[in-house]
Parts: sequence; C-alpha cells; structure tokens
Amino acid sequence: MSWIVLAFLGVATFLYAILGGADYGVGVLELLSGKASREKTKAHAYRVIGPVWEANHVWLIIVAVILWVAFPVYFNAVMIYLHFPITLILLGIIGRGVAFVFRHYDAVKDGSQQFYDRLFRWSSIWTPFFLGATFGALVSGEMITLDSQPDATFYAMYIAPWTSVFSLATGAFFTGLCGFNAAVFLIGETSDDQQLRYRIKARSFNLIIVFSGLVVLVVSLLNEVTFILNMLTSPASLAAIFLATLLLYPLWQQLGKGHQVRVRFMVVIQMFLIMTAPVLANFPELVTLDGEAVSILDGIAPDAVIQTLGWALLVGSVLILPGLYHLLKSFGMIKSLEKDAL
Amino acid sequence: MDTLEAARLQMATSLGFHIVFACIGMVMPFFMIVAHYRWLKTGKQAYLDLTKAWQRGVAIFFVTGAVSGTMLSFELGLLWPGFMKHAGPIIGMPFSLEGAAFFVEAVAFGFYLYGWKKLRNKWFHWFTGLIIGVSGVASGILVVAANGWMNAPSGFVFEDGVFSQIDPVGALMNPAWFTQSLHMTLAAFASTGFAVAGIHAYQIWRGRKKEIHFFAFKIALLFGSIAALLQPISGDLSAKDVAERQPVKLAAMEAHYETMEGAPIFLGGIVDEETGTVSHKLELPGLLSFLAFGDFNAKVRGLNDFPKEEHPPIGITHYAFQVMVGLGSLMMLAALIYFWSLKKTKLHDKKFFWLFFTLMAPAGFLALEAGWTVTEVGRQPWIIHGIMRTSEAVTPVPGIQVTFFMYLAIYVVLATAIWWLMQRQIRVFNQETTIS
Repeated sequence: MSWIVLAFLGVATFLYAILGGADYGVGVLELLSGKASREKTKAHAYRVIGPVWEANHVWLIIVAVILWVAFPVYFNAVMIYLHFPITLILLGIIGRGVAFVFRHYDAVKDGSQQFYDRLFRWSSIWTPFFLGATFGALVSGEMITLDSQPDATFYAMYIAPWTSVFSLATGAFFTGLCGFNAAVFLIGETSDDQQLRYRIKARSFNLIIVFSGLVVLVVSLLNEVTFILNMLTSPASLAAIFLATLLLYPLWQQLGKGHQVRVRFMVVIQMFLIMTAPVLANFPELVTLDGEAVSILDGIAPDAVIQTLGWALLVGSVLILPGLYHLLKSFGMIKSLEKDAL
Repeated sequence: MDTLEAARLQMATSLGFHIVFACIGMVMPFFMIVAHYRWLKTGKQAYLDLTKAWQRGVAIFFVTGAVSGTMLSFELGLLWPGFMKHAGPIIGMPFSLEGAAFFVEAVAFGFYLYGWKKLRNKWFHWFTGLIIGVSGVASGILVVAANGWMNAPSGFVFEDGVFSQIDPVGALMNPAWFTQSLHMTLAAFASTGFAVAGIHAYQIWRGRKKEIHFFAFKIALLFGSIAALLQPISGDLSAKDVAERQPVKLAAMEAHYETMEGAPIFLGGIVDEETGTVSHKLELPGLLSFLAFGDFNAKVRGLNDFPKEEHPPIGITHYAFQVMVGLGSLMMLAALIYFWSLKKTKLHDKKFFWLFFTLMAPAGFLALEAGWTVTEVGRQPWIIHGIMRTSEAVTPVPGIQVTFFMYLAIYVVLATAIWWLMQRQIRVFNQETTIS
C-alpha cells in the first residue's frame, strides 16, 4: 500500500506542476504581454482557466496532506527549515486567488481592475518561482538542521538554502516551464495574430528553461549537488532527459504546422520526463539534510495509517476523477482533443 | 511576545478569519440553491436575480475561504511542527477526506459558476449547486472532527512519549467529533443566516427594493432561525461531554473554583485569577450541576482541584462563554420573533422590525468566535488534551513575531476588501434588478 500512496504523491505533484503550473504560466504570460495584447491574453486566460483553476490548486493541498500524514520526516524538514519560502508561496497563493476572483466578480468595473490585474500577474510569477526555489533548497544539499548544528546562524539555517544560486536557478527553471506550458496551451485556443505572439513567448520561455537548466547543471558540478549529478550516472534518467530534449524538435515542427493537440500531448510528456528523470536517479533518497541523502521511506507512518490513507485516496479518486474529467470536457479543454481525433 | 505567544496569536488570527469566510462559503450555497429552485419552479425573475447576486457573494467567499484554508493547512506545520510530527499521521484521515470533499466542491463549483449557458440540463446545473453545499458541509464536519481529536484524543496508545498502535479510524471517530461538528454546523447556519438576513433587512430598513430583499430575508432567516432554535440542544450535549472529559475546561468556562455539590451557574462575573474569586455575579443555584450532569445535586469539580499549571486562562474562557450563551439566547428570541412575524405580517411594515434584524446581523458570528475561543483557549495549556502541551509543539524558527503581524495585516486587508466588494455588489444589485 505504501507504493500506492507514493504513486498518488507522484501523480498529485505531477498534475499540480502541469495544471497549476499552466495556471501560473497564464499569469506570467499576461505580465509579459505588451499593452496591445494584454486584454486578449486576459480574456483567453479567463476562458481557459476560469472554470478549473480552483480544482487545479487542490492538488497542492493533496500533496501537503499526503506528506504530512505519510512522510512526516520530509514534511517537518520543509515546515521548519523552509518556513520562510513557504510563507512567501502562501502570500502568492492568496494574492493570486483573490485577485483572479475579484477581477471577475467585482460588480463595478473601474480603476480597481488595474490593481487586481497587477496583483494577479505579479503573484503568478512570484509563486512558481518560490515553489521552484523551495524544491531546489530541499535537494541542493545546503540544508542544515538543529540536530546537527544547533548553533548555526539564522541566515545559514533558514535563509541561505533557498537563496543560493542553485535554488534560485531552479525557481527560474520551474517558472520557465510554467510559462512555456501555458504559452503552448494558449496557442491552441486562438486563431488570430495572437497565436504568433504566444509562439514567440513559447520560444523565449524555452530559452529561459534551457539557460536556467544550464545554470543548475553548472552549479551542481561546482558544488557537487549529488541530486543532479546522480542523474548523469543513471542511464534511465539520462535517457529521460535525452528524450525530453529530443522532443523539442518535433514539438516546434508540429507547432509550426498547427497541430495544437499533438503539441499539448508532447508538452505533457516532456514535463513528465523532466520530472521523472531526477526521481529515477535518486529514488527513494530525494532530499538532502545535513549533507546526507534522506530516504522518503525514513520515518514513514505506521502501516495502519498508510492502509487507511491509501484507501481514502483510492475512494477519493473514484469520486473525483470522473467529475474532474467531465468538468474539463464540458468547458472545452478536451473538446479540441476530440475534434482532432475525428 | 515570545515565539509561543506569537504563534498562538497568528493561529488565532488565521482561524478567526478563516472560520467566517468558510462558514459563509459553506452555508450560502444553500440559500442560493433555494432561490434557484424557486426560480426553476416559478420562473419569477426576482428569484433568478437573487440567485445570481448570491452566486457572486458565494464565489468571493468560497475563494477567500479556500485560500485562507490552504494557508491554514500549511500553518499547522509551519507553526506547530511538534504537533504535526506526531499527530499528522493519526489525524490524517479526516484531513485527507476533507481534501477529497474540497476537491468535489471545487469541481462542482466550476460547473455551477460557469454552467449557466453551457449546461443544457437545468436541473443538473441546480444539482451541482447542491453538491457545493453538501461537500462544503462535509469538509466542515471533517475539519471539526480533527479538532475534536485534540480535545478527546483517541485511536492510539501513548507510552513514554511514544505514540503506537495507531488507528486512524478510531481517531476520526473520537468521542468529541459528533457533539463538536453538530454544534459547529448549526452555528455556521445560524451565523450566516442572521448575517445575510441582516444585510437584506438593512436594505429594507433603508427603503430599497423591498420586494426582492424580502424574499432574500425570508430564505436566509429560515435557515438561521431553525439552526438557532436547535442550537441549545446541541450545546447541552457539548456541555455534558466537556463536563465528563475536560472537567477543567468546564470549570474555566463557568469560573467555578470550589468543588461542590449543587454547583451554581454564574451570570456575568469578573474573574480575579490571582485570588481565584469571582465578583459582580448573579448566582443560579444548582444549575451548573444540572446542566453538566442532569442532577441538581451532582458534584462538579472546581479549578482548585487541578494543579495550576493545568489551568487554561480562566478569565478569557469564562467571558467568551458568557458572550456565546448570551448572544445565542438573543438569537433564539429573534428566531421566535421571525416565526411570529410570518403570522403577524403587520410587523413587516414597522421600521423597528427591520432595524432589529439589521442589528442582529453580527450576533451569530460574534457568538461563533466566542465559542471557538472557549474551545481553544479552554483546552490550553494542552494542544492535545492531556498528551502534549502547546509549548512542546511550537516551531523553533525565530521571527514568528514578524510573521504574526504580517498575517494580521493580510487578513485585515482581505476582510476590508471583501466588505468593500460586498457594498459594491449590493449597490449594483439595487440599481440593476427590475423588481421593485
């Protein structure tokens, strides 16, 4: 049953990265749009994420709940030593959520719209950046704990790990992924000159991803970040990265030809490969504390807990997934897939 | 302010605001679908206008409830890692089920809000609204069940500081889950009912669009009144439960120091925690014994029976309890007036009738906050009653004083923004609706 729970953790994290990530990306796109196209982007954003954005973000809560119920060691490390970036993420989540709803449900459309817009856009780039940086800190090997170094300074213990070049580059990498994801998604939603704009955006995000990815790699080599270096020695993980990179070529080719649906599939596969590569290389030792790799299975909750959690997740997904699918379908997020299949 | 105080204040602030957002987001969908139902049945424009107006309110409160809830789910770990480390696995069950219920709610919400034009089957659309309400209430019950566990820990064996033989289902079905969830659910309906009715009563008092606001008033207060009249029964169950399991909390609620048979209830009273005396009170002899144990002569243990380091802050607990009971009684009276006014429709022409219900608008939420103060402050110094002290659970991270003020500022801004948005909603609604 612990494998089922782990699988749910993985799937929930992946879906959050894809769906929630695309959500953030839409805001990032809005932020980076020129004055002329901003309103159009905003309209597309609303049409695409309006009905589903709330559901997209429940995945994050699921991830948190699974971690705290089943894997208290990881959960505690995050909650104590990454208190501050998590707080920053929460600020972003609040700002984004309320701004998105306020701008559509405020009965009077006046100057305050500008404020909501700004809040929405900036928190859309802020949140994934710190999500990425938090993840970066966990794997960077720079985290120290009170157990080993009770006298460490405030800065070294609570600030340095997530503000290192490695963590910040990871933040940029994830933000780039979100933007790329959203740009590719939105291309399929439009048919006018806006398409070209999204295509250009997608290309620049691609560059950001490649660049920040390189920074991550170089810093890993310099600082011997084993989490990343392990990927270079694991054939499965190398293959995943290779495939993900290789996919870029057909992806851009298909994008040019206007096969929007195939492109979306490819992006999802690409995200999947990028996210599984490090897991393949490191599982189950995903997090490094005090310079030691810590297995996710360390301190796993007692069997009775895992059993009930597993069943709760299975039953929950039977309830939720059909509804979610129907929701995505009803509002045209899958419709274009079907059209393409005919 | 030390870290423990800052962390407690931050948690209290977050919960205090979240409870209000969450209750409205959980109960208003029911008002909305009643109006929706009547529109589907009668085709009257007034009901459709009202449904759509309430839907905007529901959307805003649902989202603020959702984001403040997301924050809370993280704050549990951020502020109380010692608690989560041990309790997380034990009370994971209600939280994971709550996650599922919340997911269902979010999906139903997508359908409802965006389905006005897209969903062909009107009754399916209505049904998704019902799902929002039902899953919202389910979430509420589950979260309160987790809180119940902190008051009545069960489903594990605790020996030498180690938790073993964990039974998550046993923890979920802890002895307090039912009484607490029932009390909270009724409180949510009563508070939201009175608040929403109060807003519409104010509009009528000011002479704006009487007909449609009267529809709204009736729907909201019907829920609110029924809940307010049922609440004392559930309160009695809760009191008996607390008397049995947390005698020290009951003693603090009543500022009851000396163990005695035929213990009186104090109305009012100023507590002097130094000397352990209560002044300026009105005594009702034997009533505490009766309410706690169903016997006027039963023995009720007083605070002096318990070591000082196990006392919660007595003044706050006692005052909060008085406020809750006082406001609750006032709401029962208001509920009776409401039902009476349905017969005596002449009352509806009287301005003071509407003024009265306008003034009653905040009563429910004040009572609700007071009630939570009783539960939470009354459980101190424990975070898990009798097992773990709050001071053992608090985070080692420095600087919580700063984050407390930051959260306080965020919630104040958020609440102000919602207040302002609601005013705008009502103004626009009054301008646009075609019903007089």
